[in-house]
Order: sequence, then structure tokens, then C-alpha cells
Amino acid sequence: MSDIEGSPGSSMHGVTGRELTFALSVASPIVPTDTTANFDLPVDSEHKAKVFKLFSFANPHMRTFHLSWISFFTCFVSTFAAAPLVPIIRDNLNLKKQDIGNAGVASVSGSIFSRLVMGAVCDLLGPRYGCAFLIMLSAPTVFSMSFVKDAGGYIAVRFMIGFSLATFVSCQYWMSTMFNSKIIGLVNGTAAGWGNMGGGATQLIMPLVYDIIRRVGATPFTAWRIAFFIPGWLHIIMGILVLTLGQDLPDGNLSSLQKKGNVAKDKFGKVLWYAVTNYRTWVFVLLYGYSMGVELSTDNVIAEYFYDRFNLKLHTAGIIAATFGMANLVARPFGGYASDKAAQLFGMRGRLWVLWILQTAGGAFCIWLGRANSLPIAILAMILFSIGAQAACGATFGIIPFISRRSLGIISGLTGAGGNFGSGLTQLIFFSTSRFSTAAGLTWMGVMIVACTLPVSLVHFPQWGSMFLPPSKDITMSTEEHYYSSEWNEDEKKKGMHSASLKFAENSRSERGKRVASTPTPPNTTPTHV
Amino acid sequence: MAAPRLLLGFLVVLACFSETCFAAISFSSLRRTLVVTASHPQRLLKAGEDKIIVTWGLNQTFPAGTDSAYKTIKVQLCYAPISQVDRAWRKTVDNLSKDKTCQFKIVKGPYTTTNQTSEWTIERDVPTATYFVRAYALDAKDNEVAYGQNTDAKKTTNLFEIQAITGRHVSLDIASVCFSAFSIVALMGFFLAEKRKGSKAQQ
Repeated sequence: MSDIEGSPGSSMHGVTGRELTFALSVASPIVPTDTTANFDLPVDSEHKAKVFKLFSFANPHMRTFHLSWISFFTCFVSTFAAAPLVPIIRDNLNLKKQDIGNAGVASVSGSIFSRLVMGAVCDLLGPRYGCAFLIMLSAPTVFSMSFVKDAGGYIAVRFMIGFSLATFVSCQYWMSTMFNSKIIGLVNGTAAGWGNMGGGATQLIMPLVYDIIRRVGATPFTAWRIAFFIPGWLHIIMGILVLTLGQDLPDGNLSSLQKKGNVAKDKFGKVLWYAVTNYRTWVFVLLYGYSMGVELSTDNVIAEYFYDRFNLKLHTAGIIAATFGMANLVARPFGGYASDKAAQLFGMRGRLWVLWILQTAGGAFCIWLGRANSLPIAILAMILFSIGAQAACGATFGIIPFISRRSLGIISGLTGAGGNFGSGLTQLIFFSTSRFSTAAGLTWMGVMIVACTLPVSLVHFPQWGSMFLPPSKDITMSTEEHYYSSEWNEDEKKKGMHSASLKFAENSRSERGKRVASTPTPPNTTPTHV
Repeated sequence: MAAPRLLLGFLVVLACFSETCFAAISFSSLRRTLVVTASHPQRLLKAGEDKIIVTWGLNQTFPAGTDSAYKTIKVQLCYAPISQVDRAWRKTVDNLSKDKTCQFKIVKGPYTTTNQTSEWTIERDVPTATYFVRAYALDAKDNEVAYGQNTDAKKTTNLFEIQAITGRHVSLDIASVCFSAFSIVALMGFFLAEKRKGSKAQQ
């Protein structure tokens, strides 16, 4: 596709503006297929797949997808592996409530930093080695649970295991080398959601493994240590599979990626500047802390909560806790889908309302969960809370791509970090002191969710509006082009560095909802010869 | 639709896994009619090794017939207040079905009018904490009707400390080190092998 006006591929002829952000496939001629390539799936000119075929393991695209999400899933399993076993661990290590809470905070804090480093590692070594290095170097941290004998050791080990959550970055990076950008939204959303399920699966796996080891004859205080070998082995197995079966690029060659000179290099300082000076970035950093963040916090406390409050057996509490995390299978993609549907009808304003509704509902159900006194009501409230929070995560990433085109990477990274930060903060305030019982902690966390979701009403796009305000009436300010090219100064525009942003602006006109047809055509985009 | 019905069924089944509700018996309604003593070595006791000898019987100052309803005796190891601080999962509440003070059973058996003794080896899943011993007298319906304990009402005297096992084993430590080493060596091996292959191909 060319930038020259009037050349084939530059017109918007045939584009309805209703293409889904979460498309399952991209049809030609929107993205032309490279017919010379010999892959299982149709690919574009960079040999990235144009189709997302879920149940295939074909090399390299779908195989990469499965290797990638399962690696991320494994790291979630090991990071939250201690949570369902806390009733045993707290007696073995003589922990107080503060110790348990601090360990929970530690488990999500490490990855704030490791995710930032991971981006650079993927740039240097490629996503395959990035993933393998992290997952195999964090295996020793999982095994070192067998040495822990007090609160300090426990907190330190959970902190180190938490570094492995940076596989999120390698996962998303690897997907973007294998899948065309038009379907990357759904691919990344599915990979992220299914990886997050690990936080739920671990609540099932660990008590089960613990039970089996106890039946074989080990005492409780030894059995839980042996149980940690399972996530440790999973790390090693996935690391070896990634190394033997994975490849960095569709054509299998890492060095060619590094030699690609035609990708214009942007200055990191500029990209960071436009990310941090856009107020919307910070609203979403806060918001994600109260959708993803509370999901992670709940993964850490919910099994112990059900065990203590309702006097359940360990594996029963684990089963219930697992349904919270496993809802990610459908809840997160559902959030993205709801966001897209709302965008079709109401544009960006619909996306913002959907996010506010889902996240606030999640908060309301969290309040209900804390106040529920009977087991069936508590379970119902928990399931509804999980759907609300996880769908809100999906809906958040339906909006993030539109905040900025130039700084999308950094904004996504900051938002992700905000999620972990929000998790650490809520665990610190509500679940690390004896001031609140866990039930009261859940209730207040729900209140905080509702309060911290209100700022989404402040997010205003001049070209599309906000929750309560319509788009700007000003002719220049109400165009997508104006918004996205305002991230470039005159010098850069003269060099044509903003051309990708302009292209994106055209494609983003779908965020006007049903008003697309009545939009005045901006000047200089219709070719002179059709 | 099947989905709501399935959800309802699931919730009903799960309700069966929780504790069934009893008519709440409160601890403050019980009379302290039993005398309980616990003898043990006068030092830090070790779980899995040391023994406690517990003796219990009716306090003879009470009139005859006080123990007519007592059918079973349940002797338990209970947390002292100092071990309950910042640990809500060991909290003392008046409602006995929700009380978490006494979590370990020493012995349970039929009640006799004469004093009884039992020697108990401290189990290996007892955590490090300060404890006392309490005995509950149960009636025919297994409801608590009376109690006795080896400490005073404020739970300050005759407390003893137990040291738990660590749960660690040398074999576990060795296995842990071996697998960790394997992980690192395998990773480095792959990395160096591929680098060598890459530089060979370039030559």
C-alpha cells in the first residue's frame, strides 16, 4: 500500500467505517494477500497471518499463539500458586495478617519493573528468547519455596516469582510479529484473557496437588512445599517448548527483523512526552488499576476468604476461587465485544459508557460480595463481580488504541503497570491490616472501584465527544486528523513522519458510530483520479 | 434456558459443602464444672516429639447430678490470646459454631464419673504458638453443655509454647537445587548452541 495520493491502495473506496476492532480476519483487498507465501494461513506482505484460526497449531502463526498464551498462563499459575494454600502456609511460617497482605503486594509489584525491562529484552533478543529467558530463569524462584522458613523469606520469594508476569509483554510482542495489525486486537485480547485464567486455574490445581501429596503420606507443612514443584516443572517444560518449537518471525529469521530499515525510528523522549502529557493516559492508568488491579488482588485473597468465612474445606474454597479467575475465558473477550458493538451504534461515546457501566457494576457486586453472609449469595456476587471487572479490562483495551497513535506502546505499558500498581495499593490498604476484616476489605474495595471509575466521564475526544458532552462543533478540531497529527510538530510533519497517524485517523472514523455516513469528507484524501 | 437452572443447581450443591446451621450455643452459657490439668516438660515443646499428659474430671465441689447430661468428653488444644493477635482465623467468638479458638483435637471419648488421663503426642501439623488445654462436655446430641480448662478465665496462667516442625527436608532442598540448575543450564545450552550455529552459518 502506498502513501501517494491516487495510487492503488490509498483510497477509502469500499470501506464502510463499520469494520470491527476485534475482527477475526481481514479480507483482501483491504490487506492484500501474499500469494507467493507457503503458509497454512493466508498472510500479508510481511507474512503476518490475516486469519485467526483458534483450534489450529499450524507453524508458525497459530503455534506461536498457543506457546505464547500458555507461557503467560504458566506464569500466572506460579505467581498466584501460594494464594489457595495460605491457610496452611500461615500456620507453617507463623504469619500474621500483615505478612500475608505484604506478600500479596510483593507478588504483583515485581512485574511493574520487569515489564518495562522486558520490552527492551524483546527488542534485543526477540520475543522467543525474551519469553524463554524469563520463564526459565524464574523457575528457580518457584523451586526456592522449599527453603522458606519465615515471613521475610515468603515475601521475598513471592516478589521474585512475580517478575515472571512480564511474559505478558513478550506474549503481546510475539503476537504482533505474527498477526496482521487489523486482527491483532482480538488476538492479543484472547491471549491476555486466557493467560489471566492462570490466576483462576491455580486455585484449582494447587489444593488438588496438595491433597494428593497429603494422601501419599506427607505432613501438611511439607506437602505444600512439594506442591510448588508442579508450577516449577511447568516453567521448565514451557521454556523448552518455546525454545524448540517457537520462532521469532513467520520466516524464522530474527536478524532480518533487526535489519529492517524502512521502519522509521521515533525518538523515545518524544514518544514518552506525548504519552505523559495526554491526560487520558492517566485516567486509564487509574481505571485499569481498578479493573485488572482488583482482579489480581481478589486472586490473592478470595480462597482464604471463603475458607475462613464459610468454614469450607481447602479444595472446596479453591474450586470457588477458581471460578473467579476462569471467568476470564469469556468475560474479557465479552468486554471487548460489547465495546465494539457500542462503537458501531454510538461511536466512542458508546465505548466510554460501556466501560463505565461494566466497571461500576463490578464494583457494586464487589460491595455485595463483602456483605454477603450466606455461601450461595457470596458465590453469586463473586461471579458477577468477576464478569464486571474482567469485561471492563477488555473494554479498556477497546479504547486505549485510540488515545494516541504515536505513543500507543508506552500508553499500553503504563496502563498495564497501573493495573499492577492498583493491585498492590488495594492489597496494602484493605488486606494487610487487622483494621478491616477481609469481608470489610472487600466491601471498601468495591466502594473504591465505583469511586475510581468516575474519572472516565472526564475523558473527552474533540472529534467524538465524551460520556456527557458531544463532539466539538469547531470544523478543524472535530476531525480525527487534527487530533492525531497534533502529536507531531511542524518539522516532523514536513518530513512526513505523521503519515501513519493520518492513515490511522482515516480508519478511526468508525468511532463516530452511526454518524459516519454524514461526515464531511476531509480535504486531500479523495484521489484525483478514481 | 439451561444456564440459570444450572447455576441454581450449582449453588444449591455448593451450599451443601458449607457448615449446616445449628441452634447457636454460646460459650458464655456453659458452666465451668470440669477440672483440667496438663503436664508436660517445662520448656519449649516440640511438635511431633513431646507428649502432654491431660487429666480431666468433674469438679467435686458441684452437687451430685450436675453431670447427668454429660455423655462425651472432647479435649482440645486451644490458642492463647497472644497467638490470636493479628490472626483473625484464630478468633474467639461467643457463638461456639463460629469460634476458632480450639482447632486441634487431643482426645474424644465417653464421659466417666471418675477422673481420666490421656497421653498425647503433639501432632506434626500443630503450628508454633502459645496454647492451653480445654475440655468440653457434650450431651447425647453432641452439643456442648459444660467445659473446663487448665488456665484461668482470662487465659493467662499455665500456658505453654509449642514449636512446630519446619516442614523442610534435605531431600526437598536438594531436588529444588537440581531442578533450578537444570533450568538455567538448559537455557544457556540452547542459547549458546544457537549462537554457534548462527556464527557458523555466517562464515
